[in-house]
Amino acid sequence: MEDFELLRHVTIGQYFPTGSPLHRLDPRVKIIGVVALVGTLVTLQSASGVLIGLVITFALIALARVDVQFALGGLAPALPILVFLAVLQLVFGWSARVTNCHSLWSFWLLNVTTCSIQAVVVLLARFAALFLLTGLLTFTSTLSELARGIEWLLRPFQRVGVPADELAMVFTIALRFVPTLALEMEKLLKAQAARGANIQSGSNPVARTRQLLPVLVPLFINTLRRSDDLTAALEARGYTGGAGRTYYIRLHFQRADVVALLVVAALILGLFALPFGMFDQSVLNMLATK
Amino acid sequence: MDRIRDRDGFKGTSLAAPLACLGREAFCVAMTESLIRVENLHYIYSGASPVEALGGIDLTIRAGEYVAIVGANGSGKSTLARHLNALLLPTRGDVWIACANTRDEKRRRDIRATVQMVFQHPDSQLVAAVVEEDVAFGPENFGVPENELPPRVRAALDQVGMWACRQRTPHLLSAGQKQRVAIAGAMAVQPRVLVLDEATAMLDPAGRAVVLDVLRALHHQGTTIITITHEMEEAVEAERVIVLSEGRVAMDDTPRRVFTRADELCALDLDVPPVAALARRLGLPVCLTTEELCAALTARGPRVGAPSRINKVRVSEPQESIIRVEQLTHSYLRGLPLETRALDRVDFNVPSGAAMGLIGSTGSGKSTLMQHLNGLLRPQSGRVVVGQYDLTNPATDVRAVRRMVGLVFQQPEDQLFEQYVGDDVAFGPRQFGFAKEEVRERVRWAMESVGLGFDAFKNRLTNTLSGGERRRAALAGVFAVRPQVLVADEPTAGLDPRTRAEVLGILQRLHAEGTTPVITSHRMDDIAALCCRITALDGGRVVAAGTRREIFSQPDLLQAHGLDIPPVARIAQELRAQGWPIPSGVLFADELVAALGAE
Repeated sequence: MEDFELLRHVTIGQYFPTGSPLHRLDPRVKIIGVVALVGTLVTLQSASGVLIGLVITFALIALARVDVQFALGGLAPALPILVFLAVLQLVFGWSARVTNCHSLWSFWLLNVTTCSIQAVVVLLARFAALFLLTGLLTFTSTLSELARGIEWLLRPFQRVGVPADELAMVFTIALRFVPTLALEMEKLLKAQAARGANIQSGSNPVARTRQLLPVLVPLFINTLRRSDDLTAALEARGYTGGAGRTYYIRLHFQRADVVALLVVAALILGLFALPFGMFDQSVLNMLATK
Repeated sequence: MDRIRDRDGFKGTSLAAPLACLGREAFCVAMTESLIRVENLHYIYSGASPVEALGGIDLTIRAGEYVAIVGANGSGKSTLARHLNALLLPTRGDVWIACANTRDEKRRRDIRATVQMVFQHPDSQLVAAVVEEDVAFGPENFGVPENELPPRVRAALDQVGMWACRQRTPHLLSAGQKQRVAIAGAMAVQPRVLVLDEATAMLDPAGRAVVLDVLRALHHQGTTIITITHEMEEAVEAERVIVLSEGRVAMDDTPRRVFTRADELCALDLDVPPVAALARRLGLPVCLTTEELCAALTARGPRVGAPSRINKVRVSEPQESIIRVEQLTHSYLRGLPLETRALDRVDFNVPSGAAMGLIGSTGSGKSTLMQHLNGLLRPQSGRVVVGQYDLTNPATDVRAVRRMVGLVFQQPEDQLFEQYVGDDVAFGPRQFGFAKEEVRERVRWAMESVGLGFDAFKNRLTNTLSGGERRRAALAGVFAVRPQVLVADEPTAGLDPRTRAEVLGILQRLHAEGTTPVITSHRMDDIAALCCRITALDGGRVVAAGTRREIFSQPDLLQAHGLDIPPVARIAQELRAQGWPIPSGVLFADELVAALGAE
């Protein structure tokens, strides 16, 4: 059966005013915290370390009182590609000759080793954690708060020509129109189906992509017209960039923000300092001996 | 600096000195009595084939005026509006706002703070993702001090009655609510002039009434209002009506004098408000309100009428239903945090051949119900049966259902897929696999039936069509499949009076030829003219169902659900309340004229 409800799959850019402690934090602190955690997860090489990172992420989502299932739902469209990558990684990734890797199963060119298992776990856990962490930002802060935070954090770079305010505006508008575009796309798909186009969710990917082509043309035209309207509205409402602007949202750095920064710093230190690599090795060795 | 110098000038003895203390510009305004001055304004849209949109406009608008600008599509209304806050600059001529020329780049910020605009589509003018932050956007840009921002936002949202929704996300509001937020965003700047470019075109009767109330209140507080509209009833609200035609001012007068010139308006593809049209048919002087009409009738003679001549056509109880909806319930985003219930145990029957009307305010569930009628949405609970197909059964052939039930969405002109008109109209028949000759025949028939000549239009590029032509091409695309049932969501919304009448005519003809129409509209006169049976929805539930005369004889019930009765029915009701012998159930001008024994 067809499923036209595209908004169902849009989790990015959604804001849930649940009033949790995370919602009340200064957006600058949230941005710094998330960026630092993302950086840590990208640099960490050990599977158990990244898994702990993922657990921390889940804890943060729970602390924000956002439905974890909904947050993960946004991953669904990327799942086929993820699985594909994971399988490639698993069977082709590593040869047994690399030090510390033990072959578990091999056939012709295919070779599953302890290292490839570790790599797959890192790949999947890292992807999920990064996705959830960026989601966490928009779940717990309004776009304008984030934009204001970004603008403040980029301000030091204004001297070297970074247009901080404009970048913040671009960011706001891009995310603000994600749901609007999803609704527009939904409308066009429905209009086509109503006129007899055979839009099935189960058919093969090539056919599905070809069905999308005629929808993309009007979507493109409508989006261009919409952006024309938006430009006129921005101009009419007096937007001229950062100069001479005041701000409705005021940023307050409070005690809770200090605490949050300290907690993030402690977590990151822990992730780097604890000997996760050795732990990985011993688990994998156990796997190999079995 | 200017201000200080002027204040010094006050000590002088010249005649202008007392005015000079107001500052140079206020002085200028006081001397010329005009807040907005448009002189010999020409504007040409450049491009491959340049189009002259404005051809020499001269206008003066004083502070505090309430002006309506009317004109057919393409008459230059929006282009003129966009000159008033320097969104467009004249090709020739000048526009002065509070004595500042819009060409003067240094004054542009002041000009925009003086003149704020509200556009037709609320979706593309709301910038922030939270209502209160969006309202603050304008004042932020104009550098209003930060401690002054919260009270301004509060005042503006209070004025439009949206303070309670300040934390909501704009894309989840109704169209009427979004438009009120947009007006609040403009008002928070505290402009002297508010320009509305067809800001009510997409609103339901209740939403429109609220916006008009807000405008009235702002006008009383001294704001200059300039509103562009296709609705002549809205133009009556103004003190002055400017009629544009082909980029020139055709009339500029009080509503009363403008609407006296009905024949000239008709020649400009415009019309007069229903009350004025009725007064004209009754041979009375021009009337702009129901009260005036009653007074004029009373003055003419005693309260007598002809014996009732409403032929209550017996709506024969139809034998079979072509569509049957029973206890249908539907929720969007089911199982997610933002789940919303759109339909709640709805029963809806479409008898074969009977024209059905669906009315309800924005968000009442009309569109959701319509999408169930051709299987775009499947019943989550309850039953939908179309002809011999039961849509509750997942194995049902939905494409067969879609061939039987054609669906025209709101603003279908945004949904043309193909480059050429002919190809776009042929999209449906080709998808359903008709033979080449048959496709051609159907496309020819469909295009002719909407008034687009097959030979003249089949090779036209869809993006070169006018708004009205695009709407008709989109209708033809659905007609070409020759569905037994035609479901159309707001087929007349946003059209100028002439195009609207044409689209109504097309739908009436299709019904006469045997298609069963199911129509929604926010215009009750359209519904009365097209549909013999009506179902009213509110909050996803059916609140009334019956013949059009039954439904429209319950004005209180309809108003309680944000709906209305057609203007003629309202006039009839008013006359009856004043003691005129008008039978109940009068819906059309002919019937009312007959009941008053005037013809």
